[in-house]
Amino acid sequence: MNIVRNFPAVSILLCLFAGIISSGLKKKMAGYVNTVLISIVGLLSISTLFYVLSTGEAFVYVMGKFPAPWGNEIRAGVLEAFMALFFCIIMLLSLFGGRKKLTDEVEEGKTFLYYVLMDLLLASLLALVYTNDLFTAYVFVEINTIAACGLIMIRQNGRTIEAAARYMIMSLLGSGLLLMGLCMLYDLTGHLLMSNIKEQVAFVYASGEYRIPLLVTIALLSVGLAIKSALFPFHAWLPDAYGYSTVSSAAVLSSLVSKGYIFLLIKIIYRVIGFEIFYESRIVDALFAFGLMGMIFGSISAIRENDIRRMIAFSSVAQIGYIYMGIGMGTQAGMEASIFHILSHAATKSLLFVAAIGLTDVSGGSRQFIELTGSGYRNKWAGVAFTVGSLSMVGVPLFSGFVSKLLFAQAAVQNDIKMLPALIVLGISTILNAIYFMKTVIRIYTPLEDSKYGSITFKNMKLYVAALVCFIILNVALGVSSQPIVDLIGQGLAMFS
Amino acid sequence: MYYIILSILFPILTGLYLLVRKEIKDRKRLLTITGIFLVISGALVILALCMAGNGIFTLFNLTERLPVLFRIDEVSVVFSVMTVIIFLCAGFYSFVYMKHEEKEKRYYGYYLMVLGVLIALCFAGNLITFYLFFELLTLSSMPLVLHNGSREAIMAGLKYLFYSLSGAYMSLFGVYFVERYGNTLTFSPGGVISAQAAAEHGGILLIVCFAMLIGFGVKAGMFPMHAWLPAAHPVAPAPASAVLSAVIVKAGVLAIVRVVYYIFGASFLRGSWVQNAWMVLTLITVFMGSMLAYREPVLKKRLAYSTVSQLSYILFGLAVMNEGSVTGGLLHVLCHGFIKTALFLCAGAIIFMTGKTKVSELRGIGKEMPFLMWCYTIVSLGLIGIPPTGGFISKWYLAEGALASGIPGFNWIGPVILLISALLTAGYLLPLTIQGFFPGADFDYSALKKKEPPLLMTVPVLILTVLSVGIGLFPQVFINYLSQIVEKII
Amino acid sequence: MIMLVILIPVIAGILVPLIPFKKRSHMEIFLETLVILNSLLVWNLLIHRPESVFTLANFTGNLSVSFKVDGMSMVFAGLVSALWPFATLYAFEYMTKEKHEKTFFTFYTMTYGVTLGISMAGNLLTMYFFYELLTLVTVPLVMHTLTREAILASRKYLYYSLGGAAFAFIGLIFVIIYGSTTDFVLGGVLDLEKIGNRSNVLLLIYVIAFMGFGVKAALCPFNSWLPDAGVAPTPVTALLHAVAVVKSGAFAIIRLTYYSFGVEFLRGTWAQNVVMLIVMFTIVYGCSRAVKETHIKRRLAYSTISNLSYILFGVTIMTPLGMVGALSHLVFHAVMKISSFFCAGAIMHQTDKHYVHELDGMGYTMPGVFGVFTVSAFALMGVPGLAGFVSKWNLASAAVESGNVIAYGGIACLLISALLTAIYMLTIVIRAFFPVKDFDFKTLDGEKDPNWKMLVPLFVFTIFMIIFGLFSAPIVNFFADVAAGIY
Repeated sequence: MNIVRNFPAVSILLCLFAGIISSGLKKKMAGYVNTVLISIVGLLSISTLFYVLSTGEAFVYVMGKFPAPWGNEIRAGVLEAFMALFFCIIMLLSLFGGRKKLTDEVEEGKTFLYYVLMDLLLASLLALVYTNDLFTAYVFVEINTIAACGLIMIRQNGRTIEAAARYMIMSLLGSGLLLMGLCMLYDLTGHLLMSNIKEQVAFVYASGEYRIPLLVTIALLSVGLAIKSALFPFHAWLPDAYGYSTVSSAAVLSSLVSKGYIFLLIKIIYRVIGFEIFYESRIVDALFAFGLMGMIFGSISAIRENDIRRMIAFSSVAQIGYIYMGIGMGTQAGMEASIFHILSHAATKSLLFVAAIGLTDVSGGSRQFIELTGSGYRNKWAGVAFTVGSLSMVGVPLFSGFVSKLLFAQAAVQNDIKMLPALIVLGISTILNAIYFMKTVIRIYTPLEDSKYGSITFKNMKLYVAALVCFIILNVALGVSSQPIVDLIGQGLAMFS
Repeated sequence: MYYIILSILFPILTGLYLLVRKEIKDRKRLLTITGIFLVISGALVILALCMAGNGIFTLFNLTERLPVLFRIDEVSVVFSVMTVIIFLCAGFYSFVYMKHEEKEKRYYGYYLMVLGVLIALCFAGNLITFYLFFELLTLSSMPLVLHNGSREAIMAGLKYLFYSLSGAYMSLFGVYFVERYGNTLTFSPGGVISAQAAAEHGGILLIVCFAMLIGFGVKAGMFPMHAWLPAAHPVAPAPASAVLSAVIVKAGVLAIVRVVYYIFGASFLRGSWVQNAWMVLTLITVFMGSMLAYREPVLKKRLAYSTVSQLSYILFGLAVMNEGSVTGGLLHVLCHGFIKTALFLCAGAIIFMTGKTKVSELRGIGKEMPFLMWCYTIVSLGLIGIPPTGGFISKWYLAEGALASGIPGFNWIGPVILLISALLTAGYLLPLTIQGFFPGADFDYSALKKKEPPLLMTVPVLILTVLSVGIGLFPQVFINYLSQIVEKII
Repeated sequence: MIMLVILIPVIAGILVPLIPFKKRSHMEIFLETLVILNSLLVWNLLIHRPESVFTLANFTGNLSVSFKVDGMSMVFAGLVSALWPFATLYAFEYMTKEKHEKTFFTFYTMTYGVTLGISMAGNLLTMYFFYELLTLVTVPLVMHTLTREAILASRKYLYYSLGGAAFAFIGLIFVIIYGSTTDFVLGGVLDLEKIGNRSNVLLLIYVIAFMGFGVKAALCPFNSWLPDAGVAPTPVTALLHAVAVVKSGAFAIIRLTYYSFGVEFLRGTWAQNVVMLIVMFTIVYGCSRAVKETHIKRRLAYSTISNLSYILFGVTIMTPLGMVGALSHLVFHAVMKISSFFCAGAIMHQTDKHYVHELDGMGYTMPGVFGVFTVSAFALMGVPGLAGFVSKWNLASAAVESGNVIAYGGIACLLISALLTAIYMLTIVIRAFFPVKDFDFKTLDGEKDPNWKMLVPLFVFTIFMIIFGLFSAPIVNFFADVAAGIY
């Protein structure tokens, strides 16, 4: 057995260990441990990715010695390994981007806790990505929720506590629904391992019995995960949670945590329910419809917002709508587009959050638009980065957002019924995106005569700038050479079944 | 060949020269220069008529299928000779008249340009060339209308401009179709529409023909697009009013002659709804113009309304489309041209000498300037159509042609309306004569002084009067020449 | 070579703020040299046309960023490269009164490259690509004065353009899916087998994409950004909003109609009727708004709106002749409108007058500028012998030839619009040359024609208007060849 096969499990365990160790460390050390950890996990994921690519098939790693149908399993295919790698990159860059700010935002004595939570979060994300059984999935969903709440709350002001409480309630509601779904699935099939469940589901479906329980199960699973990933209309918790937490938390939460759940949903669709069965239940149509509504209403809320962070947060609602629209299309192409958009949105949204903090910092910490006037000149790097992020969100060619839009549209054309609504909403949502993002860009580049705020120099923010540059490169790379990644996604999806 | 281009370009370029050169302080010098230019222009036109022959002269190609070309035929001769005579008369007349207006240089500049453009219109050999100069005519004559710069004049100028342009564009609409369905735009007697095209696209061709009639009819003051004329003609300086009312409107007539007889062809239109509608419009215009003139107190405006009415005499003749009526129409072109110029010049001279504009103010004017008023009376009789003046001959032919046409209804309504209108003409022209010479018993003769205008004013009026009477005395010369045209096109 | 001509202006633009010019004139020389050089290169490229497609990068799947110089590229690139050096020269003079010159020239020069990119794009995707880029590089130019008005205008411009592109994008997708290729092929690339019975959907998409690209071409009801964008400095309004940007919209529609969807597929369908009616409405609407407008530049902007729809009218006739008409108006209108805008700019530059009613009697103090303005007014009206007449002639005869009854109505719209054009242009001319009777010329003391940098472009454009008007046969024949696919 190749040593690489251990890597996924090892990386999860490493994260957990790192979390435990960090809790005893000083704040600086915890930070270093965290950085090293993420890098190692990243490297492990790369090697896993190459391994899987070379063998051409996914592998299953059995935790402990119980063989199926009992026990715990981890499964690594192209898509899983790639996602893990990507999550690592984004997390690392987000943390770099927010590191300097962290000292202002989090109390001195609690910094180490921040990194502990990050470690746990990474562990849970990896587990969500790699797991092959639903029970493990559920456990890590909960860990994820708790870690995320911690990350929101750790910046202590009144609003974050309120936001965290809201997040907790909504998230637990989602978890509850998910759990009920899992229970029913277990009742129907008697299994917890994904591959086994799938066989049973197919069998049950073919037998024609238990149609309604199956439908309810699918609905519960989808809705549970939809709530957790803030699909419209379950997004009420999102703006505060993203808007007031520390910058790295916001970046990580918006680009990774919700994406982890969506990835889990995709996994459930492919590996648990089965694509055809899922498609034939009309749940996809609901997801599609809510996705479309999310695209519109998220953007409209963003337009009405006066606070840059909350605006970006609302934009996430819209972007998650895109992803669900792709899933709801019920075609392979739609799914591919959704997964690509997970990547592109992750890369863009964290860039925007990180850039926004740079802009608010040179505007006396205010996040109101009126104060941001001219901030693009005071912090040039953040200004450029924010512009790039905005253009990508609007879907200007050369940036990642354009490619996902292209893929979504191409996918939409293949579905005769959903084509027109999808295309039209895509167009409208592009306009709405343009409205609020471009408004902001113009605002930050409107010079202010005799500004009361000083500008910031490159010297004071090397790490920050490095993070921004990496984000921009990532974004452009996704936008320009998307073909290999799209191929990879296709390959990964093929390995799912 | 090159005489044609010379006769067109010389007045235009000299006009431009006058416009762009610095202000000439010495008025005498300006007048000398202008006078020389005018005379040379006239001479060049005559030279062109004598020397150019009947060939087609292509200047250049606007686009591949659109050559700008010139050709002199009998119609060109009639119109260009009339134009030159009237322009020379009115031009010399204005040397005196313009003394009390400003910006004389500008006036002469545009005056010369208009002359050149009109000559080009007469010589134009195809529709596109004609259209080109038709637009230029509007643009270059507009400054003559708004010359005095009062708000009223400027508004009238704009009105003139926009009416004319909308007419031009309506005709352009037709030009597009004619170019496509007829094979050429070159004027040829009898029309260019082939029988096949007429059969295939007859409906649309009739529509565009009507559009072109209305469009070009704007310039000729035909109902329903006549409203610019009474506004624009009176506000111009009197010699400008004269050429506007006598010659420039004839460009519209020329356009209609060309379109109807040289593009569509009489045989294509005869008996169609277009002919009927056209006749109705002209008859309405004849009657309405006379009525309005009858009610108008201001002399120059009255003359302008009279133009509206008289031009539709001509158009009615053209619309009837038989030998007599067309001959009559073309002859009336000449008569009306000379008469109307003379009338406006008289009105101008009265304004120049006395400053009075309304007919009612002019009691006893015949005692003040008897010579001028005699001329006025003679040409008025001509316009009414009393023998032996030219107007009688032309109206005779018109009425005879209409009666002989055999078009049901119109063959008697037409002559009746012409007759009524002639009565009205007498009604609006003669009161001035009557009041002028016979102001009544209660009139105070002691206030009158001899105010005969200077020779430069009276001589042009005299020449025109003689010409208008001459047509009536020796009609055969003209009729013979015109019948050459008519033979070709009917 | 193609990349070179696109990149030179972009790089030159970026260099402007980076090079510390000692004197302003050094920057002028630097830019003017590069722009002229680039134009020469473009013309050289157009004459020695590379037959092959130049692929820069593969995007996804069979989509690539590639360039090809075909007939349409020759028309548009030739036009742009001929006008740019003059416009730059004019801008040097005009910008002496404005701030942030370097930023201005950066983006101004970059736009040149991007516009060339649009013209030489070899497929729909590449064109779309540069099309978006064009929006982005021109926004700073609209924003230039940084007044509140300018910022609102640039926002509007941005929203409209990006929004339009979003819908054009849908068309792009359909061409990708249902076309055999996205390359531009005269006659269209749609694969009828793939379409099957979905032709109505495709027609709907055509209309949507037409409207999408139509936003840049200021199609009603998406036109209001254009007059507002007039707050930009005049060289921008003149060159970009009368030529480069809006013509890119028209150009894109020609590409979409003739090279992607194909006229065979569209002719005679409801889609053609719909777009033609919209275009006809815009023609009249733009003109009537121009008549009502009293701000000179806004008036000209409305005139642009209407004239752009002339081009689009030619496109919607959907015959080779229609394309000839569209192309000739594309080129001729560029010359006419840039010259009238430059006149308006010269007036603003010299006297700070912005409204029509302030122009009384100025024909005597600025004879050069108003002379040129008069010529361009006549040309726009379509007086024979000037450029505008020829293009209108081509449009109208194409409409007659097509035998389409709606197109006949279009001719009427053209003529109504010509009349309205006369009204809004000639009222300015008349004011300038024929002031009311007791106008006091002393109020105009100190006003005079601008210096040679402004006048030279004006006179050159005037000469072009006359040459195009009198001897249009060679260039119209060239357009006919383009429409026939010879190039």
